[in-house]
Amino acid sequence: MKKGLISVLSSVISILVGLLFGLLLLIIVNPAQAFPKFGEMLTAGVSSAPKFAKVLYQAAPLIMTGLSVAFAFKTGLFNIGASGQYTVGAFCALACGIIFQMPWWVCLLASVVAGAVWGFFPGLFKSLFNVNEVITSIMFNWIGMMAVNLLCMNLLKGGLNIMLPTAWVSSPIKDRTAALSYANPNAMIPKMGLDKLFNSNFMNISIFIAIIVAVIMWVILNRTTFGYELKACGFNKNASIYAGINAKRNIVLSMVIAGALAGLGGGIYYLAGTAEYTIQKVLLSMGFNGISVALLATSNPIGTIFSALFISYIQVGGESLQPVFAKEMIDIIIAVIIYLSAFALLTKTILSKYIRLDKSNVNAEPAPVVAAPKPAEPAKSAESEGEQA
Amino acid sequence: MSEYVIEMLNITKEFPGIKANDNITLQLKHGEVHALLGENGAGKSTLMSVLFGLYQPEAGVIKKDGKEVKINNPNDANALHIGMVHQHFKLVEIFTVLDNIILGAEPNKLGFLKKAEARKKVLELSEKYGLQVDPDAKIEDISVGMQQRVEILKMLYRDNDILIFDEPTAVLTPQEIDELMEIMRNFTKEGKSILFITHKLNEIMAVADRCTVLRKGKYMGTVNIKDTTKEELSRMMVGRDVKFEVDKKPQKLGDVVLDVQHVTVPSKLHSNNAVKDVSFQVRAGEIVCLAGIEGNGQTQFVYALTGLDKMSHGKITMLGHDITKAKIRERSKLGMSHIPEDRHKHGLVLDFSLEQNLVLQRYWQPQFQKYGFIKNKEVRKYAERLIRENDIRSGQGPITVARSMSGGNQQKAIVAREIDKNPELLVAVQPTRGLDVGAIEGVHKQLVAQRDAGKAVLLVSLELEEVMSVPDRILVMYEGEIVGEFDPKKTTVQELGLYMAGAKNMYRDVEQKGGAEA
Amino acid sequence: MSTLNVGIVIADIISSTIVFAVPLLLVAMGGMFSERSGIINIALEGIMIIGALMGCLMMRWLDPAVTSGQLGSQLGMLIASLFAGVCGMAFSVLLAFASINLKADQTIGGTALNMLAPALAIVLTWVVQGQGQTTILIPTWSRITQATLGFAAKENFLHTLLFKNMYLTTFMTVILFAAAVILMYKTKFGLRLRSCGEHPQAAASVGINVFKMRYAGVLISGFLGGIGGLAFTLAAGSGFQSSVAGYGFLALAVMIFGNWKPWSILGASLFFALFKVIGAYATTLQNLGPFFNVLFGWPAKIGIKEGQSTYFWPMLPYIVTMILLVLTSKKSRAPKAEGRA
Repeated sequence: MKKGLISVLSSVISILVGLLFGLLLLIIVNPAQAFPKFGEMLTAGVSSAPKFAKVLYQAAPLIMTGLSVAFAFKTGLFNIGASGQYTVGAFCALACGIIFQMPWWVCLLASVVAGAVWGFFPGLFKSLFNVNEVITSIMFNWIGMMAVNLLCMNLLKGGLNIMLPTAWVSSPIKDRTAALSYANPNAMIPKMGLDKLFNSNFMNISIFIAIIVAVIMWVILNRTTFGYELKACGFNKNASIYAGINAKRNIVLSMVIAGALAGLGGGIYYLAGTAEYTIQKVLLSMGFNGISVALLATSNPIGTIFSALFISYIQVGGESLQPVFAKEMIDIIIAVIIYLSAFALLTKTILSKYIRLDKSNVNAEPAPVVAAPKPAEPAKSAESEGEQA
Repeated sequence: MSEYVIEMLNITKEFPGIKANDNITLQLKHGEVHALLGENGAGKSTLMSVLFGLYQPEAGVIKKDGKEVKINNPNDANALHIGMVHQHFKLVEIFTVLDNIILGAEPNKLGFLKKAEARKKVLELSEKYGLQVDPDAKIEDISVGMQQRVEILKMLYRDNDILIFDEPTAVLTPQEIDELMEIMRNFTKEGKSILFITHKLNEIMAVADRCTVLRKGKYMGTVNIKDTTKEELSRMMVGRDVKFEVDKKPQKLGDVVLDVQHVTVPSKLHSNNAVKDVSFQVRAGEIVCLAGIEGNGQTQFVYALTGLDKMSHGKITMLGHDITKAKIRERSKLGMSHIPEDRHKHGLVLDFSLEQNLVLQRYWQPQFQKYGFIKNKEVRKYAERLIRENDIRSGQGPITVARSMSGGNQQKAIVAREIDKNPELLVAVQPTRGLDVGAIEGVHKQLVAQRDAGKAVLLVSLELEEVMSVPDRILVMYEGEIVGEFDPKKTTVQELGLYMAGAKNMYRDVEQKGGAEA
Repeated sequence: MSTLNVGIVIADIISSTIVFAVPLLLVAMGGMFSERSGIINIALEGIMIIGALMGCLMMRWLDPAVTSGQLGSQLGMLIASLFAGVCGMAFSVLLAFASINLKADQTIGGTALNMLAPALAIVLTWVVQGQGQTTILIPTWSRITQATLGFAAKENFLHTLLFKNMYLTTFMTVILFAAAVILMYKTKFGLRLRSCGEHPQAAASVGINVFKMRYAGVLISGFLGGIGGLAFTLAAGSGFQSSVAGYGFLALAVMIFGNWKPWSILGASLFFALFKVIGAYATTLQNLGPFFNVLFGWPAKIGIKEGQSTYFWPMLPYIVTMILLVLTSKKSRAPKAEGRA
C-alpha cells in the first residue's frame, strides 16, 4: 500500500519539523542548555524501565481519547468533547470502585457507560436539531467537569464525604478523591507482574486493553457493514440516506461509541491507582490531546496506537526539560505538528509526485488526477462546489 | 474600427488529461447575436471562462476592437465591458436583488454605500428594458425567471455591451424564453453584442445571426444562420447524423407496478405545495416519462416516491404493498431502483472507492456480508464484473476513488449499480445529464431493455428529444400538477411545450396566464 | 450577611454582567467577521490567550512609567489594548495562512492554534518573569476608579454600578461594536465580506478578491479576539495565567446563538454573562431574603451541602445556553460557504 506509506511519511515529516521548531525555540530561550536538554528530552522515554513504563501508562488513555476523536472523525463529526467524556468516565469508574466496592472490570464498564451517555447528548442534539456538535461537546465538557466536582464533594455516606480521603483515613486532603490503595484495592487494574518487570508502579495491563480496543475499532471501521455505513455517513450524508442508511441513528451511535472510548480512557487512567482525581477548575487536557493523537494518526485506529505512544513519549521527555524550560515546550511542539498535519493533503500531493502510485488497471483512463478538475466538464468544476452544499 | 468587437484567436486551454479547448477561434461582430453551439463537454463553458478571465489559456490571444488585451480576472473583463449570465446563477441567496446587482460595483462615498443612488439606476434600467424586478426582495424568495432578470440587470448596471448568456433557457418556460429572445434582440438594436451559448438548435435558428460550433474541444467552423439548416448544425455538433429514434420491441403491458394516488408534497422554499395531488400508474413493460421544465415539482415528487422526503397527503402502492410511509431500504428491497438526479449529492460517496460505491445499495445482502462482516472478495468480484460488463473506465479499477473518475464514468457506475439490482421499478431521473451522445444512447438502450424485460420504468427528463423518443407514455408536470398525458407517437414538441408552460391543462380550463409569472 | 444592601448587590450584578459580557461580545463579533467571510474560526480561544498575554505584558512594561506619573493610566490601557488586538491579529495570520492559502482543514488548524497559544504563553511568561512564575499580575491602575476621575469613593448604587468593574475596554467595546455594525451593513467592505461567506463564486465572478476579503475577516477577528482576551483577564481579576477559561469557545456558542448577527450577539453575550454572574452570586443572593432564597436555595433541598453550591451554580450558564441552542436551532442559519476553501 503506497498510499499508507505516503500517509506515514507525511506524518513523519510533520513530526520532524515540529521537533526542529522546538529545538529552535529552546535555543532562543537558553542557548547554553538547549542542546543537552533537547537530547535528554528525546531519550528520556527509553532512559530507564520505569520511564518507559510511564510512557506506556500515559499512552493507554491517550490511545482511548485518540480513538474517540478518530472514530467520530470517520463519521464526519468533530468530538471536541472527549475531555468531558473522559472526566465523567473517570468519575464513574472511581465512584463504582469506592462507593460500591466493585472489582476493576465492573468499574471499567461503568466508565464506558458514563462516557457513552456523555457522548449521546451531543449526538442526539446533532441528529435531531442539527446543533453543531462542536459547540454542544464544549458545553458538555464544562457541565461534565462541574458535575463531577459537585458529586465528589456531595456524595455522603454516614455523614462523611465518601469520595474523599477523609472518609477512609485521617487526612487533611479535601480536593481529591480517596486513593484506591486503601479505599478498594480490587478496583485497581491488575498489574500481572508487569510492575515488577518494569520496576514501576505505573505499569499495568491498561496499554494492552487500549491496543486491543484500537484493533477492534479498526476491524469495525474497515471490515464490517456497520463501519461501512458510518463512513458513508461521514463522507456524504445525503448519499448514505439515499442508500437506505439511517444517518441520524448513525450520528448518535458514532458519538455514543466515541464517548464510550473516551470514558474508558478515563477509567483506565484513574483505576491504575497511581493518581487520584483532583477537583478541577480547568478541563482535563487528556481529551484535547486525543485530538492531536487522532490527527497525527490521520484517524486510523491502528495509527492512534503509534501516535499516542509518540505523544506520550515526548511528554515524558518534557518533564526532563524542567526546571530549565517549561514542560509546555512539548505542547508547542505538538501544536506545530498538528498545524502542519492540517495541510496533510498538500504534503501528500507533493509526496505522491515523488512516489508513483501503482497503476494496476488495464483499462486506465488518460491520467485521472485526484483533486484535478473533472475531465468531462472542466469548466464547471469551479461551480460544482456550490451544488454539493 | 475593427469589424469585430471581440476576437478570440487560436485559444488552447488544457486541464490535466484533457484539452478542453484546442486551437479555437471565435469572432464576435458589433451588434450581432452569435451562438456558440456544442454538446456537453465540448468546451463552450471553458472558452467563455477564458473570455471572462476565470481561466488563463495556454495559447492564443484575445482582441477587443482589434487591440490585443489580457484578461486576468473578472475585473478586467468588466473593464472591457464584458458581462456574463452564468448557467448557474451567481447570486447571493440571502441578499436583496439590489445588493446583488451592485455587488462588486457599489456606488459609495468613502466606502459607505449609496443605496438610494443605486436603487434609482436599477429602477431606470429595469423600466427601460422591461426587466421587472423587486429591488428589495431576497433572491431566495423570487422565481428563477426573476433571478435571471437580476443577472441581466447586473450586466446592464455595469454598462456592459458584450453580453454572454450561458445556457440561459434551460430553466425557463417557453414564454419566458420568447421574452428573453425579444430582450436579446432589443440589446442588439442598441449596438450591444451577444454571445449565446446553447445546445438547443431551435433557439439558435430563432435568434442568432451567426453560429460557431465546437466538438470535443475542437473548432468545427462558423456559419451564417441564414445559410444553414438545423440538420447541418446538428451534424457539425455531433459529427454524424443523430438518430433520435430508439429501437423498441412491441409493447407487452403487464400488471400495475406503481400506483400513485393524490400525492402532495409541501415545499421547503415557500408555503405552497411543491407537488399537488399527483396520481398515475406505471405498469410492467412500459416506460412512463415525467416531463416538464426544471423546478415544476419533479424533484420533490421523486424524493417522496423514493422515500428521501415525506409527503403530506396521498398514497403510493408498489406491487400491491402500501409504501407511503416505507423506509428507503424497504422500498429498495421491494424492487425499487433509483438513478438520482444529482450524482454527487446522492448517487455516489465520492471519497469511497469504485467498488464500495458499486455495492452501496446491496452491501447488506447475504452475498456481501456475514454476521455484519463485509466479504471483501465478493465485493471485488462483483465490482469487477460490473466494471467489465458496463465498460466503466477508471484509473485503478475497483479501488479507484470515485472522486477521480470522469462524470460520464461516474454516471455509468450508478446506472450499472441500479440496473444490476434487477429492479421491478426503475426510477431514472435525468439519467443522461452531462453525458456525451454515445453514452446517452447506451443509457437509453438500458432503459428500453428493462422495459422489454417486463419491468416498469419511470423516467424523469427535461430534454425534449429524450421525452419524445424513449417513453411509451408522457405525463407533463407543471407547477406541481400533472397537466396532461400523451402518446409520444401522437404528439408534437409544440403541443407538449404548451402544457409544460402551463398554457394548457387537460383536466381543467386554464385562464390565459401568460406573463403572470413574468 | 443579611444586612447586605439589595441595591448595591443589584448594581454589582449589573456591572459584573457588563464586564463579563464585554469579552464575550468582542470575541463573538470577531468570530462573526471571520465566519461571515467564510472561515470557521475555532482558534478564538488561542487568539484570546495571545491577546491577553501580550496586553498584560505591555501593562507590565508600562507599569513604571504609569506609577511614576509619566504616562496617564488610561492612555497606558489604550496602548495595552491596542497592542493586544494587534498581537491577536498577528496570531490569526497563522489561521488565515493555513485555511486560505493552503486550503487546509479549518477546524484542525484552529485546534492546533488553540493548543499552541497557552503553551507559548507559559513559555513566554517564564522567559519574561523567570522560572516557575506563571502568573502575570495586573496593575491596579488598569481599573477606572473614582480616584482616576478625581472623585471621592462612596458606597452607593451609582458608585457601585459605575466604578466597581469599570475598564477602558468597556468603552472601547461600545465604540468597536458600533463600528462593526456600520462596517458590516453600511459599507462596501461589509457587503463584499458577507458575499464571500455565502457564495464565494458569485463574489469572484463580480471581481471581488475572495482571498483578500477572507484574510480581512480573519484579521478582524484576530484584532477583536485579542482585545477580548485582555478584557477577559481584566474581568477575571486574578492576573493572567495562560488561560482564558474556555471563553473563546463560549464566544463561539454566543455567536451561533446570536445567529451570526451583531445585535443578536450583543443580546446573547449579555444574557450569558448575566447567568454567569448570577451563578457566581447565587450563594450571596440566598442570604438576601425569602425571594432569593426560594430562587437560589433549592440546591440545598436536593441534598447539596451548605457551601457546596459553588460547584453547582457555575454549570447554569452552560446548561441554559445548551437548552437555548436546541430551542433556537430551527432558526439558526450559518453562512452558507463557511468552512469550505
